[in-house]
Amino acid sequence: MRRENAGQIRVLEAFFAVLVVFSAFTVTTSFTVSPNNAKREDLASIGLQALLKLDSDGSLGNYVSGGNWSLLRDVLDEVLPIGVCFNLTVYDDQMQQVNNAIVANGGLNNQEIAFVEYACASRNPVFNCYTIHMWLAVAS
Amino acid sequence: MPVISIDTFFACSLMVLLTLSAMAASSKLLYPYINNAVDVNSVERFREASKYMLLSKGSPADWGQRDSTILERFGLARAGSDAAYELDIDKVSRLNDENSYAVPYAQIFEALKMSDVSFRLEVKPLFEVSINLTSTFNAVNETIYQFEISTQRHGAQVPASLKCYAVTSNYFNVGFVGSASGQAYVNVTLPNNIGGPALLAVLAKANSNTNVVSFNAYGFAHNSAQPKQKGTFLKLGPLNYTLTASTKYPNINLSEAYALAFNYNSTLTKTTGNDTFSTYNIPRILDSSPTLLVVTGENSTAFFAEWTAYPQIPVEVGANFANPTTIALTNVFAYPYIITIGSAFYECTVWIGGPRG
Repeated sequence: MRRENAGQIRVLEAFFAVLVVFSAFTVTTSFTVSPNNAKREDLASIGLQALLKLDSDGSLGNYVSGGNWSLLRDVLDEVLPIGVCFNLTVYDDQMQQVNNAIVANGGLNNQEIAFVEYACASRNPVFNCYTIHMWLAVAS
Repeated sequence: MPVISIDTFFACSLMVLLTLSAMAASSKLLYPYINNAVDVNSVERFREASKYMLLSKGSPADWGQRDSTILERFGLARAGSDAAYELDIDKVSRLNDENSYAVPYAQIFEALKMSDVSFRLEVKPLFEVSINLTSTFNAVNETIYQFEISTQRHGAQVPASLKCYAVTSNYFNVGFVGSASGQAYVNVTLPNNIGGPALLAVLAKANSNTNVVSFNAYGFAHNSAQPKQKGTFLKLGPLNYTLTASTKYPNINLSEAYALAFNYNSTLTKTTGNDTFSTYNIPRILDSSPTLLVVTGENSTAFFAEWTAYPQIPVEVGANFANPTTIALTNVFAYPYIITIGSAFYECTVWIGGPRG
């Protein structure tokens, strides 16, 4: 190799070194423990509480078996803290979607989305089991 | 390219990779122990502490009912309840400094047995009822007052059913109105031959769920001067289904006392009393509604109607985290909960702060 090309090789070396350093930084950030996990746990906890409270007197099963999706959306909007967005889907025991209307109060466009799975049953007149999947996020 | 250059390049790359991998591993291992703006361990610890306050019954388990008892361990859960986040009506009422048997924050702080954390606790209805007197119509024998009542949650209207009670001197009336849009107009007609001030008490149940309830009351002049501020004449302390009304001035005569719930109301009978206080039994109403307690009377010059709610909410107790100095020195976290008292749903927020690393 000619002596005058040596500088080009040094530039290439430096370029690759920078590439390696930035790749390492990118990988490092994904390793660190994020406090967002705690936020997700809080969101999931409050979502689960809301479903538990509504189920405590059978209201949740009544909303689902009666197909009162707008009432279910309204009551979740009232009991969940302000600024929390939710989207809820109800499945029957065959995991077929039951709700024929969207039960949500906004788009979940936040990266931090918590998920809650809850099983409930209707009490009257027929005993049916449902699985509820709820996604929650803080409104951005 | 000389072989030595290639060797140098790969050697350097390997060293950089090794160094950064070591940094990544170290940061992962040490992150929870590094003083940081958000300490993951503190978040977890404070969350568990806030849960403990609401899930534990405290010691003794019935400290809410017994005013003479010494609080040993703090916890607000109802004794004998299997449901999570079901709070005791008396324990919550005793957090309110308006209550005659209120427990001071210093005592609660000691009973929590966490000397390095401060907290603030708030219990309130899930939505607000606001009452405004919009117009007055004077007739020969009566006066009609028109009120605008709105039920809102942080500005968003909440469709609700409303139960309205009008109370004044020797006068008691009940009205019901639905509010599909979260806003309703109510007319209260009072005879001109009675004096005021009068009180309009409103209980509201959300249309979406009858356990989501709220309330408010509004005092207004009727053939009288404007009503005095709440708590001017009496200190009302509901505890263990007994209402204690303590007078704040001499020469106050109490006349009637009422318990008002959404589906039920009752006139209370005085059980004991002297010049300075009177006690009444509060009925145990099987209704997912708070009970508004109204006591009427006269001082030397005028009629008054004092009121409170049972459970005695909204209540806010604890450290003031709004202070900028406090904020600078502590990590403060807020934990919202949905709780039940009786069978009604309320909102509870626990703020916990500890020293910043």
